[in-house]
Amino acid sequence: MKLTRRNFLAWAGLGAVGAVACEGFGIREGELQVQSSVRLPEDLVRGNDNWYASLCRTCPSCEGIVIRVMEGRAKMIQGNPYFPTNEGKIHARCEGGLQALYHPDRIPTPLRRSGPRGSGQFLPVNWLPNGMDTLKGALQTNGSSSVMITAPLRGHMAVLADRFAAAIGGERLGFEAIDNNTYRAAIKNVFDQDSLPDLDLENSQFILSFGADFLSTWVSPTRFGRGYGEFRQGEHRERGMFYQIDSRFSMTAANADKWLWVRPGQEGQIALSLAQVIVSENLQADGVDVASLLGGGADILNSYRPEVVAERAGLTPEMTGGDPAEFLKDLARKFAARQPSIAIGGGSAGAQSNGLFNLEAIYALNHLVGSAGKKGGLKFNPPSPWADVPSSSIVGSLDDWTRVTEQIRSGQTKLLMLHGADPVHGLPDSLQLREAIAEADDLFVVSFSPFIDDTSAMADLVLPDRVSLEDWGDDISEPGPGYQVVGLQQPVVNPLFDLDPLSFPDVLLTMAQELGKESDLPWANFKAMLREGSDALFNMNRGSIEAATADEFWNNMLRRGGWWDELRHGPTTVKPADGLLRTIVAKEKGPEFNGIGTASIGSDSFYLVPFAHNTLLDGYNGHLPWLQAAPDPLSTVTWQTWVELNDTTANRLGVKEGDILRIESSKDSIRAVAYPTPAVPPHTVSVPFGQGRKHGSDYATERPGNESANVMDILETTTVNGTGSLAWAGTTVRVSKTGESVSISKLEGDARAVEIGLMPSEEIIKTIAPENA
Amino acid sequence: MVAGGVVTVVLGFVVIVLLISWFSNPPFGLGNAPAQPVAFPHTVHVADNNIQCEFCHRNVTKGEAATVPAIETCLFCHKNVDGATVAAQAEIEKVRTAFDTDTPIDWERVHRLPDHVRFIHESHIRYFTDNEIPVKYGINGEELTQMPDVAQTCTICHGDVGNKTEVQPKTGQSLKMGTCLDCHRVNNAPTDCTTCHK
Repeated sequence: MKLTRRNFLAWAGLGAVGAVACEGFGIREGELQVQSSVRLPEDLVRGNDNWYASLCRTCPSCEGIVIRVMEGRAKMIQGNPYFPTNEGKIHARCEGGLQALYHPDRIPTPLRRSGPRGSGQFLPVNWLPNGMDTLKGALQTNGSSSVMITAPLRGHMAVLADRFAAAIGGERLGFEAIDNNTYRAAIKNVFDQDSLPDLDLENSQFILSFGADFLSTWVSPTRFGRGYGEFRQGEHRERGMFYQIDSRFSMTAANADKWLWVRPGQEGQIALSLAQVIVSENLQADGVDVASLLGGGADILNSYRPEVVAERAGLTPEMTGGDPAEFLKDLARKFAARQPSIAIGGGSAGAQSNGLFNLEAIYALNHLVGSAGKKGGLKFNPPSPWADVPSSSIVGSLDDWTRVTEQIRSGQTKLLMLHGADPVHGLPDSLQLREAIAEADDLFVVSFSPFIDDTSAMADLVLPDRVSLEDWGDDISEPGPGYQVVGLQQPVVNPLFDLDPLSFPDVLLTMAQELGKESDLPWANFKAMLREGSDALFNMNRGSIEAATADEFWNNMLRRGGWWDELRHGPTTVKPADGLLRTIVAKEKGPEFNGIGTASIGSDSFYLVPFAHNTLLDGYNGHLPWLQAAPDPLSTVTWQTWVELNDTTANRLGVKEGDILRIESSKDSIRAVAYPTPAVPPHTVSVPFGQGRKHGSDYATERPGNESANVMDILETTTVNGTGSLAWAGTTVRVSKTGESVSISKLEGDARAVEIGLMPSEEIIKTIAPENA
Repeated sequence: MVAGGVVTVVLGFVVIVLLISWFSNPPFGLGNAPAQPVAFPHTVHVADNNIQCEFCHRNVTKGEAATVPAIETCLFCHKNVDGATVAAQAEIEKVRTAFDTDTPIDWERVHRLPDHVRFIHESHIRYFTDNEIPVKYGINGEELTQMPDVAQTCTICHGDVGNKTEVQPKTGQSLKMGTCLDCHRVNNAPTDCTTCHK
C-alpha cells in the first residue's frame, strides 16, 4: 500500500481507536490481584443477595414479606415495606417460616401407609406412577363421596379447591381450630358486612376491648400492633386510653390502662350495661338514631343498669377498685366522651355458648358512639376485586366437623383429602375424629402435608406439598386496610436437592386434566391461573401498579408483592338494622358450663380459659423450633405446656411453680406445668393451645420430660349458639397435683428486680452525671 | 472510501475485542505461575501436612467464591511454626509482619472469571460429592470412576494443586464457556444462559 497522506491519516485514526478499545476493554487495574484480609472475618457474608417479595403463611393474616436469597438459598424474612396491611413490620411467626423450608422432618417423597392406620408407618413411593396413579384411582372411585379439608383459603387457591371439589362431586371445608365464625357472624348481624373490618386504632382516642388479644394472636396482630403504637405514642396526638375486659391477663391486657377481669361469658352483659349508661345519660354521638337502635323505648336496657349487671356478673370492689356500678358508669362516660372510640370483642368473649350475644352487644356499642365506618373506629372492607374470587376464608364450624365425623363413621365419606389442616389435633378429642378415621375400613385418606402431623399420620397416601417459599399463591387480605389489597406469593427458591415435593394446586390441576375436568379447571398450572388474575387486574386499569403491558404489570406485581387500590374502599356509612339492640337483648342467655365441678368453682374446680399460643397459635406452627423457643410474652415459658393459676389459689392448693398438675374435665385429663401468678382471676386457669401433637416432628410432639400436652384433648364439645362453632372457653376443670415437679423452661428470673444500693448491706458508691454534679 | 474506512475501523475494533476476550482467559493451559508476594508451597501444606482445602479456602463449600484465607488464618499455625528452612522462615516472617503491621497481602490471581460470569463453588462441590448421584463426568467428559471428596473435586478444574509448589492453571485445561457447557450437558446440569451469566 502506498503511503499517502490519506492512508497515513486513516491508519493513524485506526490506531487511535484501537488504543482506546484496548484501554476500554482491557482488564481493570487490580483485577489480576486478590487480597488477603488481615483478620479472619467470621461474620463476613460473601456473595450477592437478592430480595423477593412474597406472602407469609405462618398465620391466616398472610402478611407481606420480603425474603433475602443468597446463591439459591433463602436466608432471612423481613416485612414488605410496601404491603399495606403490615407496612414493613412482621410477627415473629413470619421469621419462623424459614425453618419450614429447611426442616429436617420434611417429607422428602410420597409415602404409602405400610402399617395399621395411625401407626405412622410408611414406605416411600414415587410420584409416578405410584403416587399420582393411586390418587387418580381414589378420585375416580370415590370422588363423589369425598371431603377435602384445607387451611382457611382466600383468593385463587380457594377458587381452585372449590372448583376441584365440585368437579369431582365432593365437598371442601376450610379448617381453623380457633375459628372466627362467631366474630364474622357478629359483624354480619351488627353491620351487615361480609368481610372482617379493619380497626383504625391509629386514629382512635379510646379502645375498649373485650377478650380480644389483638396485640398478640387475634386476627391481624401485626397490623393492630402498628396502629396501637400510633395510638399510644404517635406524633401530634394525645396518648390514647385503653381498657381491656377479659377473663385472662393476656399480652394485650398487660398493655391496657385498666384490665377488668370478669367471669367468662359476662362480657355481653357488661357491654349492654355501658349501652344503658350511654343511652340513659344521652351520651351517644351526634346524629345517632337511638330510637331506631332500640326499636322502641329504652326500657329494654333497664335490666342492664350497672347496679344490676355488677351484681349479676359477679363484679366486686376488688375487681373494679371501688364500687363496681360506678366503675361501669365511669367507663361508659369515658368511652362516649373520648371520641373517636372503638369497641372490639373476640377471643374468649366469643368462645362461650353465648359468644354471639356477647360479640353483638360489644360491637353494637360502635353504633352508639358513631364509630362504625368512621375514622378512629371500624373501617369496613370492600369486596374482592375479582367478582368470582372470595376475599373471606370461610371455615367449618364444630357442627360441620361433627357431621363430617359421622359421615366417616357411617361410611358415607370414602375419600378424605387434607391440605394445611390437622383436624385430629385441632378438634376436641371427645369428637372422636381420630377413632372414626382409624376404624373406617372403606375410607381412603390422602394428605398433602409436607410434614407428618396427627392427621397425616392417619393417611393411606401422603403426597408432600411444597412449602410456601417454594410455591405460587395469592391472597386477598382479610381484614384489609379498608381498601382492596391482593398479595402475591412467588417461589423464591427451588426445593432442596434431596426433597421431591409437588405443588398441591398443580397436583389438583393435573388430576382435573386426567379426569377430564378441563372445562372446570382449564389452567395448565397454578401460576397460569394467577397470571390470568393479574391480567384481569391489568385490564381494570386502576390501582397501585401502572404498566403499559400485561407482562410489565405482572412483573411489577411480583416486585411489589401485590396490588392494591386505595380508592376502592369499603362503606363509610353503615345504617344499623332497626331495633338492633332489641334483637341483641332478645338473644341474651348466660354461658353454659356443662363440665366437671361446676358447683364448686373456685375451690378445686375452675373455668378453663385456653388461649392461642403467641407463636404456635392453635398448633399450626408447632413443628418450628424457633417458634417453640420464642418465649411467651408474659410468662416467658418456652417449649412446655403450662397452666396459669392465681398465686393465692396455688398457695391454698400447695402448688409451687414447676409442679405438674393434672387438669381434668369430664372428657379427659392432661398434664401441665404450674405457673402461679397474681395476674390470673381466682376462679380461672389458663392453658395455651398448640402443643401436644401425638405424631410427627419431635419439636411438636409429646415427649418424655417435656410436658407438651394438647388442651383440645379435654375440651367439652359445647357450641356457640347461632354459629355452631366450638365454645372453647366453655369448659370447667378440676385441678390436682400429680406429685411430680420439673424445672419450668422460662427465661424470667426468680430474683426480685430492685434497684441496687437500697439495702443497708450494699456498700456501693453511686455516681451522678457530670452535668448534675 | 469513507465507507470502507468505517468498515475497516469497525472490523479492527471487533478483532481487538475478540482477541482481548480470548486471551484474557488462557485457552490451552498456557497460563503460567505468576510470581506471588509470598512463596506459598501447597505441597508442604496439603501433600505433607494434609490440611484440607476448605480449612484455608473457608467459603469454598459454602458460597460463590472459594476465597483466599485471611492472614490471621496463617497465624493459627505460624504463630508457633517457624519453617524448616531459612527460605521458609523468611516467607513466614513476611506473613507475620503483614499481620503485625495490619497490611493485607496482594496475591496475583491465577484463575479469573469475566465479570459477566457467575461461578458458585459450593454448588459444584455439592454435586460432585453427592453420593446419591451414581454417575458423574469430569470437566473433559471422562466418567469419574470413584466418588470424589472435596479435595478431589477441586482437582477436576484446578488440577493437582496440592502437589504444586507454585499454583498455576491445570496444564492443558481449557476453562472457556464451551468447556463449562460440555460439562453441564454431560452431567445433565442446566444450560440456561442465566445459570452462569449475570
